[in-house]
Amino acid sequence: MTSASDDRFVNGQFVNGMMGGERSSPPIVELIDITKRFGQIVACDRVSLTLHSGRIHGILGENGAGKSTLMKALIGLVLPDAGQIRLHGKAVQITDPIDASTHGIAMVHQHFSLVEALTVWENVALGDVGRLDHRHVRERVGEISEHYGLHINPDDRIADLSAGMRQRVEIIKCLRRDPQVLVFDEPTSVLSPSESEFLFAALRRVVQEDGKAVALVSHKLPEILSVTDEVTVMRDGRVVRAGKTAGTVASELARAMVGRDVVLRREHAAFGLVDPNDIAEAPKPTDAHGTTAASEAAAPVLRLVDLHLRGREGRALLAGLSLDVAGGEIVGVAGVEDNGQRTLGDVLSSLAELDSGRVEVNGVEVATGRAGAMGAAGIGVIPEDRHDSGCVLDFTVAENLFIADPDRVSRRGFMSVASMRQKAAELIRQFSIHCTGPDAPMWSLSGGNQQRVVMARELSHSPKVLVAAQPTHGLDVGAIEYMSDQLRIAAAAGVGVLLISTELEEILDLSDRIVVIFDGRIVGEMAKADVDVARLGLLMGGAGVARV
Amino acid sequence: MGNFLSALADIFSNESLYRNAMIVAVVLLFAASGELVAEKAGTINISLEAMMLAGAYAAAVGQGRFGVWGGLLMAAAAGLVVSAVQANMSHRLAADQFVVGLVLNVLVLGIVGFLVGSNEPASHVVDRLKVPVLSDIPLVGPALFDQPWVLYLIYPVVPAIWFLLYRTRWGLEVRAIGEDPNASDVSGLSVNKLRRQTIYLTGMLCGVAGGYFLYARSGRFEDSLIGGRGYIAIAAVIFGGWTLKGSVAGCLIFGLVGSFVLTIPSLGYQAIDPAFLAMAPSVVTIAAMTIFAKRVRQPAALARPFIRGLK
Amino acid sequence: MSNLVETPHSDAEPLGERSKMASVSEVVTLYAICLFVALALAAVLVEFASDKGSWTTVYTVILDGAVRKPGRWGLTLGIAAPILLVGLGTIVSGRAGLVNIGQEGQLVIGAGVATYVGTRIGGPGPLALVVMLACGVVGGALWAGIAGALRFWRSVPEVLTTLLMGAIAANLVGWGLRNRFLLLAPPEGRANRNQVSESLATDRRIPRVEIFGNEFPLSIVLGIALAIIVWLVLGRTVVGFRLRMLGRNVRTAHRSGVNEKRYGIGAMLVSGGFAGLAGGVMLAGGDFGDYQLVANFGAGIGFAGLLAALVARQRALLLVFIAFLFAGLRTGSGFLRATGVSARIADVVQGTLVLAMLLPPAILYMRARRRVIAATSART
Repeated sequence: MTSASDDRFVNGQFVNGMMGGERSSPPIVELIDITKRFGQIVACDRVSLTLHSGRIHGILGENGAGKSTLMKALIGLVLPDAGQIRLHGKAVQITDPIDASTHGIAMVHQHFSLVEALTVWENVALGDVGRLDHRHVRERVGEISEHYGLHINPDDRIADLSAGMRQRVEIIKCLRRDPQVLVFDEPTSVLSPSESEFLFAALRRVVQEDGKAVALVSHKLPEILSVTDEVTVMRDGRVVRAGKTAGTVASELARAMVGRDVVLRREHAAFGLVDPNDIAEAPKPTDAHGTTAASEAAAPVLRLVDLHLRGREGRALLAGLSLDVAGGEIVGVAGVEDNGQRTLGDVLSSLAELDSGRVEVNGVEVATGRAGAMGAAGIGVIPEDRHDSGCVLDFTVAENLFIADPDRVSRRGFMSVASMRQKAAELIRQFSIHCTGPDAPMWSLSGGNQQRVVMARELSHSPKVLVAAQPTHGLDVGAIEYMSDQLRIAAAAGVGVLLISTELEEILDLSDRIVVIFDGRIVGEMAKADVDVARLGLLMGGAGVARV
Repeated sequence: MGNFLSALADIFSNESLYRNAMIVAVVLLFAASGELVAEKAGTINISLEAMMLAGAYAAAVGQGRFGVWGGLLMAAAAGLVVSAVQANMSHRLAADQFVVGLVLNVLVLGIVGFLVGSNEPASHVVDRLKVPVLSDIPLVGPALFDQPWVLYLIYPVVPAIWFLLYRTRWGLEVRAIGEDPNASDVSGLSVNKLRRQTIYLTGMLCGVAGGYFLYARSGRFEDSLIGGRGYIAIAAVIFGGWTLKGSVAGCLIFGLVGSFVLTIPSLGYQAIDPAFLAMAPSVVTIAAMTIFAKRVRQPAALARPFIRGLK
Repeated sequence: MSNLVETPHSDAEPLGERSKMASVSEVVTLYAICLFVALALAAVLVEFASDKGSWTTVYTVILDGAVRKPGRWGLTLGIAAPILLVGLGTIVSGRAGLVNIGQEGQLVIGAGVATYVGTRIGGPGPLALVVMLACGVVGGALWAGIAGALRFWRSVPEVLTTLLMGAIAANLVGWGLRNRFLLLAPPEGRANRNQVSESLATDRRIPRVEIFGNEFPLSIVLGIALAIIVWLVLGRTVVGFRLRMLGRNVRTAHRSGVNEKRYGIGAMLVSGGFAGLAGGVMLAGGDFGDYQLVANFGAGIGFAGLLAALVARQRALLLVFIAFLFAGLRTGSGFLRATGVSARIADVVQGTLVLAMLLPPAILYMRARRRVIAATSART
């Protein structure tokens, strides 16, 4: 639990072409014994960390380890209960993000802090103080954009920019105030592989040319290993390992993250690891006779035929998307965020009506947009945002479990509370949902458990198709394992599983067949055995595909 | 048919129609410009009626002691007090803003009615001020430039609101929180504080609206003075698609319709039951909203309370 | 099921069970404080503005007028009936997530239709009464239904349409009362009547009962029965379940098969129907004039019903008591004239009460959510 700043410069020799030789790297920010409690939960327990100028410091930990809370404390979004923050050796109090930026600390957020309806320069100006001088702000944006090669036009509206471009705007927003410390919170979750490369190159420049310090928060081992100079691993709110990145290996870090010996293959999705050899060898789900469900099914259980949908502002959200899913197979839809995944999920949840195209389940067309039609046709959905369309937070767990078919627990229109409670209790047991009982309000459950409720409900309808959109987003390793297992089990039972995810590792881990979505349609496909990660990356970035 | 057309021509060529229209339009505009800013920030304030009524009463009481300007200042203060209740209950304590607004309307009506019962304020009408040359423009000249002088106060207010919203930092922040309060919060803006500030502005403007209306109309205070115009001001903002230009247009149109009630009977057309004239503003408002509602783009976070961490 | 390794925090501790007694007493105290503040504010207003009565007299007089003096609580019950009915309708639309504030208009349209039918149809009294009330229901329902249709087909916010239609309704009925072919009563002797309708024939008035010297119409019994039905339907039936779902999360509801147009417009129809029934009941009940429609018939009952529903936190059974409370304020304030204090004070008390009642749930809600948000955001 001590600051990891002591053993820096014994042989300042790093691997991967990073800083060679000794260089004076004074500490810019020191976090000392930071503690933060939320009610009974201790998010950070006497955490200490030092950020040096000219270095990229990785903060590694699974979801729930406390790394985001720590960074929020640094940026002023959260006030620590105990501990000290020192800037250039002097103790400071950081009360809010604007205060943090006056101290020279800026953060690029995971889910952006940009207002869509405004332009780039307006967003960059937000959070400043003093008179609004639009000429000055525009100039500044241009300058920074040039200097770091970001190519952003100050007068573009955020709503018109892709996720990768928006992240660049975020970066400009940070760099504008010439901070000394930059914090990146899970930056690559919305980037294609090539955009990630670009980002890391920009980070290198920021750190080396301008002597800034960068903190990179992540749960992905490869990123940390390739990009950072030093790494701190957090688990359960504490620092469990800290030191130079050079010389460490994935398995050590993984063990530190999870606290036990780790069989990487099983968990590699959770750690963001991709090993093509492993993928091809991973066992397919089989039944007692050793035949896979996929190998038996012939006719597709779900057919999406040439889907077209234009959004409110005329933007083409789905532009001729066609896809088949067979019973018993897991089809992974890979792609960078904002290429139609959400719309696809909405269509399959009856929340969006197509302009043209057909959705067929077992050959029967299903009306899009009609309330509950998709569910009734046998399509179960675990939505991207469970609070938005997956559950009703104010209802109880039991009510949420029967939200789509209250008739199952009612007689002649009257709901039987006893029957609902009893059936709910069964499902709670079956899916190991951790809650105070069927009458617990949904909002009192943790994210992982809420996801289990949604999963339990969808599976209890014996769906023919199961759509899982970002199913493990924000969950910790245990919950991720659980969800992945459930998907495999469903597939083994003959359900056609459509997995939509921006985490390539998850797709590669689970899918039998992988397709890439870009600009609202499917641009490429490959079977698991033939997977070519490089090619996937290119397709995700839209290379070689004419824009519609 | 010929009679109908010539009656129409008669009505529309009558100066006093436009005069009255302008008087009503301006009271709507004072209120609507404030509410526009508040709605850009994502709030809806049903209590405009209450703010205006409080302002009118304060103006009536105040002018006896402090003259018309003093009365207007007191009106603004009264509107501010009412808006403070709306702002703090809805955007500090998370009470439902519709309910708070509604209750305030009834409450202020009750309080004012109660106070009037105890001591009735004197009445006072403000003089007309005629602007030379400009007021000679046919039809609309008198409406715009030969009115009780308090009406002219609106002329600097509207461009000032435009400047506030589109050229100042505060205005940028207000617009940001109405579109995406979460992003704004993360960027360091104080969402609820800004919302309260916009409502305070609305309160002051509505207070002045009430005072202005009192002085420009009859000078005598009655609790039916505002008569639902607060709601029509909200409708004008919606009708105008949450733009200043649109709100001005809305207020002018609704003002015109409102003035039918006064003008048509006075011109001698008794055939229409006054009930229909009285209904006309509401009907036109509903019709206008029906036609335009789907085409306008509202601030994305409109009417959604903001609590950090809650989507 | 594969072996699941339970990592230490993979499932958050379920929200700690605070002792139930502690939280109940906390809620009660919060309400008590707010109630006290509301009454105190009103008392201050009386002291400050009126030199004719002290606040103790005001409250005593109101109490007298409401329940203490002979015959008064019967009157209060009679007034409570339409308030209760309007409130029930408000609860239905409120639970569906809709903001209906046009109850005055729906009520008056219902009363107007009921008057028209009641003064014209023949037949046995009880049957005529039922038909009359049913027509009132339909009238109110359609009036609200228009706003519902505009909301779901043209996205016009119902908060404004219901309000504006209320204004239209008042004018429409006023016009109706000036015309013989609609609602105006035939001339009496040689003088023309001024904006009143015929009185209802004696056989089509709501029967009244007398208990302990207090007389009241059976409409209150109807109200309580309907309150129980609303409570049952909302809480225990599939339809109610779906309606509540719609009110909480439209997208999840839609996904789960709830057609928001159907349920939403339906809720508006029911809401308006209740208000229309209230209008009919006011007409035929006898506590609002002489069984006839007059100008300004609504008398603020529609609004009182809306506020009562809000104070009762959308709970049908609680509404019964709140409706009685609000009715008591009205009947009590009737006695105030004698003391010289303006009867308007009742409105003020009503208003401050409602505002005060809004505070505890808002405070509790925020605290509870803060706790949970903190708990879940701690996990990042």
